[in-house]
Amino acid sequence: MSKQAPVLEVTHLQKRFGKFNALKDIDFAIYPGEVFGFIGPNGAGKSTTIRILLGILRASGGSATIFGQDVWHDSVAIHQRIAYVPGDVYLWPNLSGGEVIDLFLKLNGEKHSAHTDELIKKFALDPRKKARTYSKGNRQKVALIAAFSTDADFYIFDEPTSGLDPLNEQTFQNEVLKLKQRGKSVLLSSHILSEVEKMCDRIGIIREGQVVETGTLAEMRHLTRTTVDVQTKQVLDGIDQLPGVHGMTVKSGPNHVSLAVDADQLTAVMAFLTARELVSLTTTPPTLEDLFMRYYEKNGQTPDGK
Amino acid sequence: MVMNLTQLFQRTGLLIRFNLKRDWVKLVLWIVIMASLLTAVAAKFDTIYSDQTAINEIIKTLKTPAMVSLFGAFTAQHPYTTAKVFATEMVVFMALFMVIMNIMIGVAATRGDEDDGLLELIRAHAVGRGAPLLAGAVELTLLNGLIGLLFSLGLQVAGMPGADTTGNWLIGLALAALGWAFGMLTLVVAQLANNASGATMLSYAILGVMYVVRMSTDVSHPKLTWWIPFGWIEKISAYQANHWLPVIAYVLFGLVCLVLALGLSLQRDLGAGLITVRQGRQRASRWLRGPVSLLWRQSRGVIIAWIIGNLILGVAYGSVFNTIGDLAKSNPMIKQLLGATALASANRLIVKNFIAILAVVMVIVALIAAVQLMLKLVSDENKGYLHQISATATSRWHVWASYTGWAMLTSIVVLFAGLGGMYLMGAADMKDPISWLTYWHVFLAYVPAMLVMIAFASLLTGWLPKWRYLAWAWVAYAFFSLYLGNLIDLPKWAKHLTPLGFVNKVPLKAVVWSTNWWCLALTVLILVVAAIGYRRRDLAQ
Repeated sequence: MSKQAPVLEVTHLQKRFGKFNALKDIDFAIYPGEVFGFIGPNGAGKSTTIRILLGILRASGGSATIFGQDVWHDSVAIHQRIAYVPGDVYLWPNLSGGEVIDLFLKLNGEKHSAHTDELIKKFALDPRKKARTYSKGNRQKVALIAAFSTDADFYIFDEPTSGLDPLNEQTFQNEVLKLKQRGKSVLLSSHILSEVEKMCDRIGIIREGQVVETGTLAEMRHLTRTTVDVQTKQVLDGIDQLPGVHGMTVKSGPNHVSLAVDADQLTAVMAFLTARELVSLTTTPPTLEDLFMRYYEKNGQTPDGK
Repeated sequence: MVMNLTQLFQRTGLLIRFNLKRDWVKLVLWIVIMASLLTAVAAKFDTIYSDQTAINEIIKTLKTPAMVSLFGAFTAQHPYTTAKVFATEMVVFMALFMVIMNIMIGVAATRGDEDDGLLELIRAHAVGRGAPLLAGAVELTLLNGLIGLLFSLGLQVAGMPGADTTGNWLIGLALAALGWAFGMLTLVVAQLANNASGATMLSYAILGVMYVVRMSTDVSHPKLTWWIPFGWIEKISAYQANHWLPVIAYVLFGLVCLVLALGLSLQRDLGAGLITVRQGRQRASRWLRGPVSLLWRQSRGVIIAWIIGNLILGVAYGSVFNTIGDLAKSNPMIKQLLGATALASANRLIVKNFIAILAVVMVIVALIAAVQLMLKLVSDENKGYLHQISATATSRWHVWASYTGWAMLTSIVVLFAGLGGMYLMGAADMKDPISWLTYWHVFLAYVPAMLVMIAFASLLTGWLPKWRYLAWAWVAYAFFSLYLGNLIDLPKWAKHLTPLGFVNKVPLKAVVWSTNWWCLALTVLILVVAAIGYRRRDLAQ
């Protein structure tokens, strides 16, 4: 997959607003057929990055290309082949949803198709209502329907499901998977980690204007700790002294503990536990949430020792 | 009931403080500009109309129907003083600005907050349901009160010959009362429309109708002006009879409006108006396909309203041509003195003189429509509408050009409609109508200068979007310098601060093509720079 030329390539991207350094150093790439998850706390610079990719903001330094073209100079040519849904969708209050969908399609040289009608039905949108009267979720549906019915090569979603109900969220996920099957690339910025975990091939974590980690979820799991809940016949004395063990808590008696283990020390710890005769063992791989928390904390410290 | 009332208006005080904190720059600017404008003009009147001959001369002018239609009926009696001239010239003019100020502040403080979703947040707190509206009303009351006070003090300081303390206070308080009453009326309108721009349009429409109706009643039957609230201000007869009745009438009118606004606001849902939203189209029409047609689709109501509005204004002005252009009516002897042909040409000259003055009003209306449309570029960005357009295969240039193009086209059509209205009414009504060519010359003379001012607004959107309100300041200054410039003897350089000041007094004089050409060249130059700026900068977020 990564042998091909990237659809999107961002290197050392920077953006200053006056004295404020919104983006310090953004680096990542997205390859054809890939769904890339973009996560990070509020104010980390996700939307700023996306706006630069769309040529809405101008980068202060570094470079960003989509389809090998510069995002600022060749924006119109690039936009011909992309579709975008912002996190906050604002629509012209006196236009109906149906009109807005058609307009967005036409602006990319496309037409209202049978697929569009199908999407309107799937997302259960009433296209005749004026945008003024739509809720946040309904405005998002308008933008999503327009984006999904556009035949683009690269889709950018900036927290697209924050206002959707679970049913529509499911529809959204199905549609993204369909895009993936058709070999399209997707950039998905989201706070809903289960969504990212389920759909994304690779993930980039951004914090304070810097990409701190990129990779597949599996790769990232190596960097973090597995939670182990274990009960043994013999007393577990000294386990908290082992290298790579963190935050041990005693549960029901000295034989039942819960702890977090660094990925690279897992073998040693398991050997220690087996030697004390296992009664029960549950291991939980780190969820994206654990990863997320780890990176979100300042300086990467975790208060609970996980 | 008492309990209910305290609940209804709970935390109004807090909201008032919050409003003032948010709006203070805007409020201080209005207060300073309005108070210093009135005081400066009053102080200058001393020197312009210092001797009796100058006063008598201007009074002859003020008595002509043309001037009456602009400034209201001249009711002052002998002995004429500087102060009486001032009261006639300035009161209607200042009243116009007072109403505009109240519409702008009133809509923003109530309906504007609601549109932005701020009101929803506020109402979710322990704040009474009537509190936000009452806070808006109090803000307007303070604003008008303070300006009125400064007007009176300013007039006291200026000390015009013939001015007395009662008259000074009467002018200040009457203007304050008028502003306040129209502020309250705006609050009522804000409950009827279902969004801020609708409320603004409706408020200006009411002002426009009142202004036009009072003009025709002033020219024909001044007594009928009592039927129009905007005209009450003309009845104060300052420095003469000093009538306080209009002031009381404004206060009562304002109170009724306030109660009505509160009642309506408690009736309706948040975010809704009493005018309901219709269902929209299932699919976009064939024509809606890009920024140009999108802007039309969004703004067609407003654009058409401006065109029709100026057309009606033109018709209204045209309807008094007959009265104005009939010297024989006021002086039957004149026909024998001049002879029929000379009389006809003298009559035509008067009407042409009037057209030259009215052209300024028409141009300003056209400019307001155009600048509003031009600056919508930035407000649409701020509201996030344009971000998604930018993410499609639409260039920045295309977006900028559609707003600039529509703004310029709108100004041209609105001006044309105004002049056309005058022509049509004049042709239907006058015994000796003015030919279309006269109006056409006015049109040709003003369009290039007008375009320079719109190009400037476009330049601000391209380079200094945060300073876009300077475009309004320039239009306001243009209105001031052209409407009052000659009467207050504004120096030539001050008139030349706007391109409109360079335009020859058409149709009395010929169209100067050299002026037109440099104005057009300047427009093109500014537009090129503006386009570069809009392509280079970040979109507002």
